[in-house]
Amino acid sequence: MSNEQAEFTEFFQASWEPCLRAVVAVVGSSQPAEDQVAEAFTKAWMSWRAVRQHPAPRAWVVRTALNTGASWWRRRSRELPLADHEMTAPGDLASGLDATLLTAIWHLPRRQREVIALRIFLDLDTDTIARQMRIEAGTVRMHLSRGVAALRHELTSNKTTEASQ
Amino acid sequence: MNIHDEMSDADVLRAAADCLSTIPMPSAPDTAAIITTGRARRRRRVTGLSIAGTAAVTVVALGLSGAFGATSHQPLGATRHRPGHPAHAQLAAWTVARLADGNISVTINQFKDPAGLERTLRADGVPASVTFGSQRNPACHPYPGGTLSPGSVPPPPLRPPPLLKQVFPQPYRHVGPPPGTGPARMVKATGPPSPPPSGNRTAIVIDPSALPRNAGVQLASSNAAAAALLLPVVVYASAQCTG
Repeated sequence: MSNEQAEFTEFFQASWEPCLRAVVAVVGSSQPAEDQVAEAFTKAWMSWRAVRQHPAPRAWVVRTALNTGASWWRRRSRELPLADHEMTAPGDLASGLDATLLTAIWHLPRRQREVIALRIFLDLDTDTIARQMRIEAGTVRMHLSRGVAALRHELTSNKTTEASQ
Repeated sequence: MNIHDEMSDADVLRAAADCLSTIPMPSAPDTAAIITTGRARRRRRVTGLSIAGTAAVTVVALGLSGAFGATSHQPLGATRHRPGHPAHAQLAAWTVARLADGNISVTINQFKDPAGLERTLRADGVPASVTFGSQRNPACHPYPGGTLSPGSVPPPPLRPPPLLKQVFPQPYRHVGPPPGTGPARMVKATGPPSPPPSGNRTAIVIDPSALPRNAGVQLASSNAAAAALLLPVVVYASAQCTG
């Protein structure tokens, strides 16, 4: 095995799960997310010399996976009015507070979900997220702030309900 | 104290992370598979670009005479046609082209000469069975995960099975009633993003590298008059089916 291949293998094994979780957080289902992330890692290997020097290779993978998904979706949406989206019902994955929170996360606007996913699964700072998403750092802060506020509202409402019962 | 003050941003993000982390994740695919696929595509990309350059020169040298016949095989790598290009003045019944990424593009303007298309695909390394307007080859048997089982009740899942999606990477169009309202009738693979020429056509893209070693493709249109209906299926390769 070449050094390049060994390096990629190490990166792949360490990054598969966080990247997949980040993409699932955005797209809302593990099935298409898995395909998208596998495709993104394939592209990463095809351009490994560039990707390995990227300041945030995992973020590159997530970005590529999301772009791939958008591209697939665009093609499909142009051709067919099939599934509006492929999100998994939160109730299928969790119950109670977790299901409520999942519902809240997947009801956030996509940009907010992306910012939150990049923050919690790839531990990226605001500036890096901004570069990855090609938006201003201030916009990232706004998305993060609004997303967190919405989730906090959901969490605290749930706690209040539980307390009153 | 306001209850909203009880959770900091970090607490909320941690709760979200914990919640999302409970979703079961599929295990990572084999790294070797990713590397092999990437390497094959990289190789094809280089080869495709080289062939595309050669083909472009050849097309220019031929003066773009528009002489593609009804069963012509477009030059490998001739992946894009400019709108209004003379080559479109006399449309072939179908064309087969190798794209820069190594995939094979099949564009069908008229459902004629299935044997010629079958030979051309086989010559390009795709084990294939093609029938237009006649019964599909009974020697062909669907490969697991390689068909949508049209006509089945209840309707098949909207998402094509993984193998079908890999071998025919372009999206599918459902030509039946809306999902969930009745049995699915037929699916059609839709074409590459390049603008279609005038008139109807059916276009699909085949990724030969996604075919299992013992598999081929079957392109069958049960009704040649209903030219839009084409069902691509992954089948077991055999001498009687895919040559």
